[in-house]
Amino acid sequence: MKSAFKRTGSLIRMRLTDYEAGLLTSLVQQLVELIDVQAAEPETSDPFDRWQAELASVEPLDRTDPVISRLFPDAYPHDPAASAEFRRLTQTRQRNDRRDQAEVVLAALEESGAGERPVQVPLAELDAWLKTLTALRLSLASRLGIRTADDIDGVESLGDDDPRSYVYRVYEWLAYVTDSLISLQP
Amino acid sequence: MVARCNNGRVTTPHLPDQPSGATVTRERPAEAEQTLTPWVTIVWDDPVNLMSYVTHVFSTYFGYPEERAAELMLTVHNSGKAVVSTGTREQMEIDVDAMHGYGLWSTLEPA
Repeated sequence: MKSAFKRTGSLIRMRLTDYEAGLLTSLVQQLVELIDVQAAEPETSDPFDRWQAELASVEPLDRTDPVISRLFPDAYPHDPAASAEFRRLTQTRQRNDRRDQAEVVLAALEESGAGERPVQVPLAELDAWLKTLTALRLSLASRLGIRTADDIDGVESLGDDDPRSYVYRVYEWLAYVTDSLISLQP
Repeated sequence: MVARCNNGRVTTPHLPDQPSGATVTRERPAEAEQTLTPWVTIVWDDPVNLMSYVTHVFSTYFGYPEERAAELMLTVHNSGKAVVSTGTREQMEIDVDAMHGYGLWSTLEPA
């Protein structure tokens, strides 16, 4: 997998192959499916009613999923009640933010014509990209069972016939993209 | 945290991978004390986030100068955690929320 990154002024251009662009698009779409709030549009214009309807229609996240518990960790490690309250106050907005950031990435990938043209990342959108790439890496790491630095050694030594070795290569490629984008900041 | 050059990864020494159970859970303090007791935001080390990214987050979100941000990142990396901000409980909840938004593993507790 080969990528080229360049910055001119406040615009980063990233050259991806059609395979890379397609892969990234599909990973980001999966992330959106996992965290999307799926709130139906409330039919009232009263702000309080809208707010209530939004709260009621939010699909709760499956906290037994290790990806979910890593993306939305406990704020109070020794106080489950306070952690739950913190989540109640923050999670819907967190999920909406993540979806918005993912959509920035998806729009840029689409704009590139599946990698036909360089993917454009304005510096103003850099954090949306970095947060989304990080969420993807955290998700893949959970799926790969990477919880400590030692786990990485185990994953690194997997044979090519193990499907996880491909997932790990994708995970490492996402790290390369992340690092390249960070290094191009002014 | 992991370090990377563009084609190589430096593995981290193993570090505690979850908040230690050693912290004593306190009774919720009375209202007056709650506003006076300083709280801290802690960022914990994890094997996924890149050192460059963690530094980027500290300088972007907290506005820390590059050098301070890198120093804090190294504390997280070497000690397993670092206090990244201090303030009221409400302020620390805002910081923890922001750290979670960046994908960092963050908690708050009384200082």
